[in-house]
Amino acid sequence: MVEEWRLLDTGLRDAYYNMALDEAIAIARSKKLVPNTIRFFRWEPSAVSIGYFQSMEEEVDIETCNKLGIQYVRRRTGGGAVYHDRDGELTYSIVVDEGHQLISRDLQKTYEVLCSGLVKGLRVLGVPAEFRPINDIVVEGKKISGNAQTRSMGVVHQHGTILRDVNLKLMFTVLKVPSEKIRDKMIKSVEERVTSIKKYLGREISFDELKSALIRGFEEAFNIKLVPGEVTEFEEKLATKLRDEKYSTREWNFRR
Amino acid sequence: MLRAEYKAEGGKLIKVQLSKEDNRIGFIKITGDFFMHPEELIEDLEKSLVGCVINENIIAETIRRFVEDRGVILLGATPEDFAKCIVKAGGGSG
Repeated sequence: MVEEWRLLDTGLRDAYYNMALDEAIAIARSKKLVPNTIRFFRWEPSAVSIGYFQSMEEEVDIETCNKLGIQYVRRRTGGGAVYHDRDGELTYSIVVDEGHQLISRDLQKTYEVLCSGLVKGLRVLGVPAEFRPINDIVVEGKKISGNAQTRSMGVVHQHGTILRDVNLKLMFTVLKVPSEKIRDKMIKSVEERVTSIKKYLGREISFDELKSALIRGFEEAFNIKLVPGEVTEFEEKLATKLRDEKYSTREWNFRR
Repeated sequence: MLRAEYKAEGGKLIKVQLSKEDNRIGFIKITGDFFMHPEELIEDLEKSLVGCVINENIIAETIRRFVEDRGVILLGATPEDFAKCIVKAGGGSG
């Protein structure tokens, strides 16, 4: 019997809810209220997320974000700042029991194992993706996906981004660059280090096509079956609470 | 406030902001894109460094001890990387 995991697709939501729901799912999993879960989600409006240890003021051009209606939020995971474009990028999260056979005590190994589902999924689309330590997935040496992980309450939570399409100019308008003078130069150098599915394949892949490929990738890599499910009432209530009391607050977002 | 950035060998960027009192750390904030579990111990780590002499070996040892005592796991940056960045920040005249 193949192990069944829950599949959630929560569509377009705002940054605070998106991060709150991830935490709510992890808490629900720790209380054994829900099964191991993979979630797909997108961001509306577009948003910037920063790593737990980053400084909002140092990483994000707040004024520009406010002007463009782009939200900014601190994640519960470490790692770097990410621009989540409404139309360019797909985000996923994995919430799995720490005792699961996929999870090892070695964090680096766990990244590699959990990323293997994404690697397989991208290969289904004809994108020759590879895992690159510490937490990236690359195609021909260029980054196409960044991932971040935390573990607490006996649960491993990994989330990450897959670049379907990328607008580096906009990305570096909202993320701070050391100085205006080097913005263009920096974009050029990042262009050599970052790619997207569209850039590699030379054609557009729809979100549905991408999600189908990733579902297959996860199912094959983890030897599981993903069963479409719903956010539970417990998770929904907790997500609302965490959104209001944590992720949308200045105390949280500007705490470092 | 004194500041420095240091690219760890693991590829992550550490940023330090600190104030100095008699060559000791007065205030310190460590930010960056590294990973540390449990995340919320970062503030305790900063507190443990207050009063510490700005010397690479002493700081690295203080962080190593904190990591061991509190069961912290670091990924993408080592205690030595943090120490290097702190000394880089504190090296100038404070």
